[in-house]
Parts: sequence; structure tokens; C-alpha cells
Amino acid sequence: MNEKGKVHRVIALKVNGEKHAVAIQDGETLLDVLRDKLRLTGTKKGCNHGVCGACTVLIDGEPKNSCLLLAVSCENIDVTTIEGIAQDGRLHPLQRSFIIHGAVQCGFCSPGMILSAYALIERRPNPSDEEIKRALSGNLCRCTGYVRIMDAIRNWEKYKGTEESPFFPQDLDRFVTVGKSLPRVDAADKVTGRAKYTADLSFQDMLYGKILTSPNAHARIKSIETGKAKKVEGVKLVLTAKDVPDITYGVNPPRYDEHILAKEKVRHVGDEVAAVIACDEDTAKRALALIEVEYEELPAVFDPIEAIKEDAPQIHDRYKNNINTHVDHHFGDVEKGFAEADYVREEKFLGNHVYQSPIEPHASIATWEDDGSTLVLYVSTQVPHYLQYMVARVLDMPLGRIRIIRPPVGGGFGGKLDTTSQDLISAIASQRLGRPVKMVYTRKEMFLHGRGRHKQHMQFKIGMKKDGTLTAVQSRIHLDGGAYSSYGVITVYYAGSMIPTLYKFPNYKYEGFRIMTNKPACGAMRGHGAPQPRFAFESLLSMMADDLGIDPIEIRLRNAMEPNWRTCNELDIRSCEFRQTLERVREKSGWSDKYAKLSAGKGIGIGCGGFVSGAGYAKYRGQVQLSSEKTLEPFVKKATFPHSNAIVKISEDGTAAVLLILAAEIGQGALTVLSQMCAESLGISLSRVRIRSEDTDISPLDLGAYSSRTTLMGGNAVVRASQDVLKKLYGVVGKIWDCDPLDLEAADNQIRHKKDRSKVMEWAEAARKYFNDNGPLVGTGWYKPPSGLGGDYKGAAVGTSPSFSFSSSVCECRVDLETGKVKIEKITDFHDCGTPINPQAVHGQVEGAVVMGSGEVLMEDVAYDGKGNILNPNLHDYLLMTIMDAPKIFSGIVDSFEPEGPYGAKEVGEGATLPVLASVAHAIANATGVWIKELPITPEKILKALEKSKRGKKP
Amino acid sequence: MSDSKGSTGLLDIKLHKPQSIEEAVKLLGDLEDAKLVAGGTDLLVDIKQGLITAKNLISLQNIQSLRGIWEETGKIWIGAMMTPKEIQTDSLINQHVPSLSDAARSIAATQIRSMATIGGNVASAVPSADMPPPLIAAEASGVLDCGTSREISLAEFFTGARETICGAAEVLASVWIPIPPPRTGSSYQKLALREANALAVVGVASQISLSGDKIAKANIVLGAVAPTPILALKASESLRGQRPSESLFEEAAYLAKQAAKPISDIRASAWYRKELIPILTRRSLDVAWVRVREQS
Repeated sequence: MNEKGKVHRVIALKVNGEKHAVAIQDGETLLDVLRDKLRLTGTKKGCNHGVCGACTVLIDGEPKNSCLLLAVSCENIDVTTIEGIAQDGRLHPLQRSFIIHGAVQCGFCSPGMILSAYALIERRPNPSDEEIKRALSGNLCRCTGYVRIMDAIRNWEKYKGTEESPFFPQDLDRFVTVGKSLPRVDAADKVTGRAKYTADLSFQDMLYGKILTSPNAHARIKSIETGKAKKVEGVKLVLTAKDVPDITYGVNPPRYDEHILAKEKVRHVGDEVAAVIACDEDTAKRALALIEVEYEELPAVFDPIEAIKEDAPQIHDRYKNNINTHVDHHFGDVEKGFAEADYVREEKFLGNHVYQSPIEPHASIATWEDDGSTLVLYVSTQVPHYLQYMVARVLDMPLGRIRIIRPPVGGGFGGKLDTTSQDLISAIASQRLGRPVKMVYTRKEMFLHGRGRHKQHMQFKIGMKKDGTLTAVQSRIHLDGGAYSSYGVITVYYAGSMIPTLYKFPNYKYEGFRIMTNKPACGAMRGHGAPQPRFAFESLLSMMADDLGIDPIEIRLRNAMEPNWRTCNELDIRSCEFRQTLERVREKSGWSDKYAKLSAGKGIGIGCGGFVSGAGYAKYRGQVQLSSEKTLEPFVKKATFPHSNAIVKISEDGTAAVLLILAAEIGQGALTVLSQMCAESLGISLSRVRIRSEDTDISPLDLGAYSSRTTLMGGNAVVRASQDVLKKLYGVVGKIWDCDPLDLEAADNQIRHKKDRSKVMEWAEAARKYFNDNGPLVGTGWYKPPSGLGGDYKGAAVGTSPSFSFSSSVCECRVDLETGKVKIEKITDFHDCGTPINPQAVHGQVEGAVVMGSGEVLMEDVAYDGKGNILNPNLHDYLLMTIMDAPKIFSGIVDSFEPEGPYGAKEVGEGATLPVLASVAHAIANATGVWIKELPITPEKILKALEKSKRGKKP
Repeated sequence: MSDSKGSTGLLDIKLHKPQSIEEAVKLLGDLEDAKLVAGGTDLLVDIKQGLITAKNLISLQNIQSLRGIWEETGKIWIGAMMTPKEIQTDSLINQHVPSLSDAARSIAATQIRSMATIGGNVASAVPSADMPPPLIAAEASGVLDCGTSREISLAEFFTGARETICGAAEVLASVWIPIPPPRTGSSYQKLALREANALAVVGVASQISLSGDKIAKANIVLGAVAPTPILALKASESLRGQRPSESLFEEAAYLAKQAAKPISDIRASAWYRKELIPILTRRSLDVAWVRVREQS
């Protein structure tokens, strides 16, 4: 990446036993040299400041952060990267153990994790749990909750000397695949460093872009002088707002309010102002420093409660009083409900500003093919289709001339839903320059791009009878939206609509305000809008249970949602095993022996949650068409196009089924569960199924990984496509056997006659026969959510879903009453995800959610100074839980079957976050006697509350 | 921090790898805008993020005389390039200055502990650094070398946040700790907001030496509560000549609190830091006392 050819010296690097002479500059880190010069991209760049551990390599056998080592100081030292762990195409037993134990999700941290573990087991083959934790303390994982990583390291010796095919563990050959904890289909690539994430790719003649961001929270741009930047040697293009399409974009059509580059005004520190494309990243950065922007600073506002005051600075002309969205919902009659109550309590709660912090930074690479008429965009995105749609709109191109490629994604959690400036700028620049353009956010730029959880200022009021029966619920919530709409319009509806899904109550009033402030935009994060109100509601419910002397689990059982129920806000609940989740966590955690019976400083708490299994409606309503033709269509209560579509294509020899579906794998395991469902419904073994989901040219539309939709919606499309294949196959075989095709079945890689057991044909042979007479054997399937979901009121679409998940968590913690420091010891969780397709993958999602949720409660918060600068835009000061912080976790799945789901399945990914927050907050309250109603619950807040209550007694 | 603008970071840096302290000192004098780099775990991050600029980095990694932990003339000598990992596992240090092992073990995470150095941890003079408090409590001195060498008590070494008396052409070559008398115990207690990769909100080191049943000597040093580590004199003196007891330690802890001048930052408020001092002080004294008793 050094086109200027500036070289300080040539050094000898010894990597994985091979010697390389490399020309370098002294300032190059080992990480950059490995990735950019030796093309060993298994070593990942996550934070670039020595905290995440994704760049871990072994230096003379010792794990070190390659981002903090200068390559020049590694001369003639043995460097081992992840590519050096498997030998002669055979996985190391540790790698195999990672695969089989489900220790890999997005896979971005896996190389570093495996190297740290490898160094440990080389020294101590049977490490204790404490030793494992210490050895991995410098490797952050955002997906797994560390549970299965521990398991993989504890058990690695079991996989020594096995004679299995190196990259296909035996399990993949099982015939019955649904409901089995099979290893992930993409795991082998991820544990070897072979998986190429967007930033790992490079193309001939590639250029690099960087974006200049605003140092001011709110300012008018008076002038931008780019002359000096353009003169820098190696600079190819400098872009400002006037050089790019003058069009707004965003998420929801009525509130498109972002520009590719800031036009006239900047609205937060980090707002994107200009871009430089150059021969390498450093040249681009150097040129950025020479762009002179003259700003006229404007008064800024950072607090939503301040922002709605009459004299507050106006951030967008179109949002009066900075109110981006106002929701006023009233179902039943809350006044009547509160009048009927024996007990009413009202409390205020405050959420925190959590950032998704996937370990993989956002990356985009654009190039144009077909003589420049087709854009090819490689992006680390959760939603390839929406990205394609938005790029089409901004560049005014037909969707069909845009090819989105989604390489493996290193975690998303909602942070990779929005189209970024760098997606658009790389596309525009690549078109102008006729060369590929690559852009990658730094960790700080990720924070500045934002789209994290909205911080919610919440007021909740609950009314209940003496026996705990809920009579009315009221909430009023102000969401701190940041400077742009992003997903926020949906967020503010979700903050209200999810509350009635867990308990049956007839009267509900919700007033929500999403407010603009001069901070990076907030968006959709795991559980979208629902986790903080759920934390508030559940906390208040537990407080009131204590007030009335009712056991907190009992009060929940008394009000628990039932199957086939229409909620007061007109959401249709189908399958619902919420009661089972409550009963099972009560039993498994030993709740009845512990609640209100523990010694001071020890606590136990309950929280519950649930979420949609896919949004009932897409983000845009109309047909897929050229964006400039499109006018906003009125809301109709049906999906206008299928949300998930699949093609199953059988190879000509019949030995492979290739499943084409755009559903995005972001670590959650979509590829694996969709492949399992495909194998199951075709009656073939999983090893015969391959899935292609990374390319819009190859796979048909699927809306992507958001609203916990891929298992249910993608799965239904896959099952139907597979059935379409079988129908064709049965037709051919039925003719051969002269029987009714309806009498045929497929299983165990065979086609069989259900009644006449003598009639059996190899599946592959049947497929070959089909091909010989009919051409390609291809099946298609699609899934549209049921028509008519939701009520007729404004905003009724948000919260609708074909089905809902339910879950309960019990947290046990220990609080140091002198310092306020909390240790979460154990979380017991039961989830109703319908019938699991892959139980291990379900547990992996729950464990990851438990650790993420626990961290949200205890330590995560984006902090600002008084001028809108983020104080902790790095992984050193923005605290993600390490393996040393993670609690013990028991994850259980209750018996359940969702009729609308494929094989009875529904969601787990987001819903698993929801019960965690309140369970932790409740456990802390139970341990200390003081309720902290503001997140995060830091040791300092606990100590302050304890001081205030004069060393409170147990509740 | 501005990694999107202005900073060209590490790009233009030249690295020099002297083989001796003399050579390093000469380079320090000769080169424009030069900085010493030991482990680089702080410095490289700061340069990447544009907080610090430098044209020349002088790496100490090839200077053999900066390595090793050994006993000589009643002192434990620790070369400046020794890593927290080497320190936390060293038997001399574990035997005589367990508080320094505590501190080394609490630094960052595995990878950093085998890259960072005691020299860097001391000479960077970051207020929350973990190793200075136990070193000062153990009455350690630093050896500064600029061709000729001088020794300076670490209690006098720190002059402000990221400021020391180390001259522009001097290299911190080693630190030494007087081997404490028998029946000495020490401990470092740290509170951080997570269990790894986290700076101290407050760190307290205590070292006590018993003579008969009384404390003959005590040092309590507070970290992260002022621009420099603070030797809590009154608190330390209050222990001298006294029998260890709960109330004695409580009283010393209370006095230690008076010595601190903490600030509020992203990790904690000044109030919370003050509240922590007596708690961590008492705990460090308790553990130090346990360690004294374990010896007999």
C-alpha cells in the first residue's frame, strides 16, 4: 500500500517458518506489514490501539499485539500468525475444538483468540479456568459471551490425532440436521484466517479514501479550500458536498436527512465534510490535514430535554423544536385502569448511550465492471439489499446495475445497518477515477459514525390490583437521537410497542419523543428501542412486587402472556411459552431458596423480555423499481413484496445443492441454520449443501440481518425452495416408477416410495435423471409476512411480526458494599425460540447477549465533553466486558413450536438481550438494598446510593 | 485525539536501535525530535492518535544491560526493559516485594504484559500507572544514565502528570529496591472498572516492616489520585511503633484519604476516588500484614 515507494530499509521477517525480505518504512507496524505486504490477512485490525487483541501474533511463542510492534523491530524473530497454526491442510486440534464447541461466531476475534490459547496450551496443556481467563484477557469478543471459547480450550486435547477429513467434521454428514447442534458451515475458514473480510480484500490498482470530519458540534460551513490537498503527490481526488449528488438519504423515506458530505452545516463532531482519495491511506490522511474549512460556530445542544425547549438551537429546519418524531399512543383507558388499581407507582429511569462496537470496523471497496456500467460494492453490511436500494437512490441507478458483495462480517448488532458515507464515496470516487477504491473506518471513526443505542429518558407508571394483576401501564420517553434520523423513527415506536407483548394488560398509554441533538446519530441496536424501556418496566414491576410482598417471579406468572392473544396494541401473539421460561429459571436458579434470603452483598434478580421474529413490514413500502421513479406510497396492511427469497440449485451430477439467499451472515449463524433447513427439507446430508449469500447478482433478495428475521423468514423461503426442487424431482421419479409423486419422500440422500420399500433411488441419481431430460434442477421459494398484521393506527406497523420470542433471566451477583463494585456471578436464562434449528447456535446467541447486556448495565456508555467530543472513542475507555468479567451462564431452551416458523422456529438473536438488563439491575438492588435507575450502574453510583440510604438494609 | 485529521502518525518515523546506553544517550542528544521507546505500548498508541509527535524513535530493545532481575549489595535490581510478565513471575520479587508482583499482574492484559516495561511504566509518569506506588512504598530508586549515572529516589522522581526529573538526555536504566528486612509485608490494591485492560481508578500500595510485635516502618503510597503518586506521610507515620490492629489500619486509612488530591475524569469523580482511598488503604495494609504473618 505504498505506491510512492518510500522505503527506509529492507528487513528479513520470519513468519510461520518462512523467510521474507520486505521493504518497509520504519513507522510501519508488524500488523500492517503482515496484512498489506505479506497478504497474511488472518491477523485482523480491530482497534489498532492494543486492546481488542484481534491482531495478536506470537513473537517467539509469546502472544503480542502486532498493532503495537514496529515491523523493523521484529527482524529475525519467529513470528507466528493464524495461518501458521494448521499444518499441511490439517487443522490443529485447538482449531477443531473451536469449531465443534461453537466458539466461533463472526470469527473476527477468532485468529487472535486462538493464538492466545495456542500459546497457553503449548505451555500448559491442561490449563485451569483461571489460567484460560488470564491468557485470553487481552482478546475481546463481542459475539460469544466467551462461554464456548472456554469450552473449546478446556477440551482441545480430545481432538488430537483424529482422522477426520480436515475441514469437514463428521457431524456434517448426519442425515437429520434440523434440531442438531452442528458446527457452523463457515467456521473452518474463520479459525484458519482464510475467511476474507472486506478490509482483507485488495485489488490491482486500488486507491484508498479517507474522510475529513467536523471538529465542531454545530456550525455553518462558510468555505472549504481544497487546493493544497489536491496538490499533494499521490492524491487523486478531493470531494466536498458540491462534488457529489445533492440528495438526502437515510433509512425511512419521510425522514431522509443525511447528505453524503455535509452541505452548508455540520451537526455533530465527526460529521463528514470532505474526502480524499489517494494512492495510500497515509497520503490521504496527509492531504486531509491540508483541507481548510472555515466554520461559523453555532450554539449546540447535547441534551434532549434541553433541545425541546423553545429557545434551543434548531438542528434541522424541518424538525421543529428538534422533535424528530412524536408518538402518542393510547389503548384502552389508562385513567380508568389506574382508578381500578389498588396500587400505583411511578418512577423515572435513564438509559445509557451504548455503541455496538463490533470488533470489525466498517469497510467498503468499490469498483465498476462491465465497461463501467455496473457498480460492484464490497461492504461489511448487515443488509446488502437495503444498501443496494439506497445506493441506487443516491446515484440514481437501476438496482439491477448495482452488485453488492457482502464478505464475512465481523459483527454488526445493528451498527452495520445504515448506508455509510464511505459506502457512497467509494462508489462515486471509483466511478470518477476508474479504479477500485477502498475505505475503512478507524475505531474512532466508527464511534463518530455512531448509530448506537438511543439513550432514553423514561418515566413509567404501573397500576395493579393487590394480587399483582396489572390494570394499566403508562410511559413517557424522550429518546436522545443525535443529529440524524437513521433508524430512530422506528426506534421511538419500538420503545412503546414492545411493552404490551409480555404481560396481559388492557390499558396502555405511551408518549414518545425522538429528539435531535448535536451528537452522532443513534440507530438500531440489538433489541431495537426495546431494551431500555423493558429494563425500566421490569425494574418497576419488581419494585412493586416487593412493595406488595409478592414474589417477583410470581407476579410475572400472574400476568404472563399466553399463546394466541391479541395485545392491547393489536399485536398478534401466536406461540408463547413465556410461563415456561419463568418456571424454568425459577427452578434452575434455585430462586425460591435465594430471593430475600441471601446475605448482605449477595443478590438475585429477575428480568424478562422478548422480541419480534422479523419485522412485519419492510422499511420501504413500494415495489422494487428505479428509485427516481418512486413516489411514496400509502401504508397498506400487507407486504408488497416477499421479504425473503431463496433458490436451490442442484449440481448437474446431483451431489450438491447450492442454496442462494441474500440473508446476511453477521456472526449469528444464518448460513448454518439456513443450510441445515435446506438439507433437512431436501432429505440430503448437510455436507451436500453449500450456501451462497454474499452477492446480490447470485442470490435473490432477502432483507438481511435485522429485526431477528433470518431464521423465520429466510428459513421459510429456503424450505419452500427445497420443496419446489422435490416436487420436480418427484415428478421425474414418479414417471419412472409409474406412481403418484405424492407417494414419494426424500431422506438419507435417497428418494423412496413411502409404501413400497423396494423402490429406492439415490437422490443424486434422481437429480441426474431430471437434468438429462429437463435441464437445470432449480427450485424457488419466497416468504411474505401474513397480510393484515397490526392495527390501523399511526405507527401500528412497528412491532408487528409473524411471531414473538419470550425469555427470562435470573442474575446472581455479589456487590462489594464498600466500593460498590459488582461481580456478576451467574446468569440463568431460558428462551422460547420456538423449536431450535441448531441448539448450540441458540445458546451462543444467548450467551453473547448475556455478556453484552451485562456490560451495558455495568460499564458501557459513550461519554461526551461539553462540546460534543466523545471522550472514549476507543476500546480502552469504552468498556466491553473481557473474559475476566463475563459471568457463568446457563442457557436453556423451553419446549415450543411456532406454527408460522420453519420447523417451528422463531427468533433468538435480539430477544436474548432483553431480559438481561433488568435481571442484573434487580440483582444489584437485591444485594445492596438500593435501586439504581440510571444506566450504567457503576460502582460509584452504587456507593453514592448506599451513602444516601445510610448503608441500606436488604429489601 | 484526531486520527482522521492532521496526524500522520507513525509514517515518517525513523527507528534507531542502539546497542548500548552510551549510544542511546548520544542519539538522544544528536537527533532532532527524538524519543526513547521501550515496550511502545503507550507511546505508539499516542503517536498513532496524534497526541505525541516524534521524528526519531530510539528503541532500547537491543541494549542488554537494561535487562535482568538480580540481587546485589542488598538490593534487587530490575533492568528498565523488564516486562510486567517477567516481574510478576520473578521469585526474588515475589519473595521480597509481592506488592510489585500485584501491580505487574494487574496491568492491562496478557499481550501488553509481555510487551510493556517497568522502565516505561515508571518513566512515562502516567498518574494511574500501577508500578510506581509499590516501588515508592518499597523505597526504590531509579538509575538515570547520561554517560555518567545518578541515582534518584522514586519518591522524588515524579514532578507532575507525565513529568519527571529525568533529563532530556537521560535514560532510566534500572530501578533498585533495598531488600526489606525480615517480617516485611506489602500489597498493592487496585480498583478498576473492568477486570482486564483497565487503568486504575485508584491504586494503593502499602509496605510494613515489623519489629517484635510492632510496626517499625510503614509506607503507604496512593496512585491515580493526584498528578503523581503520593506518599501518604501522616498515614504512614501513624503506624510506626504501633501494633497492627483493625483500628490502627482504619485510622491510617482515614489519614491517607486526607493526603489525596484526586480529579474527576471519565473513570470516576474525585468524590468516588476519595471514598476508595481508605478502603483500598485498609485492604492493602490487611494483606501486607497477612503476608508478614505468612513468613513466620
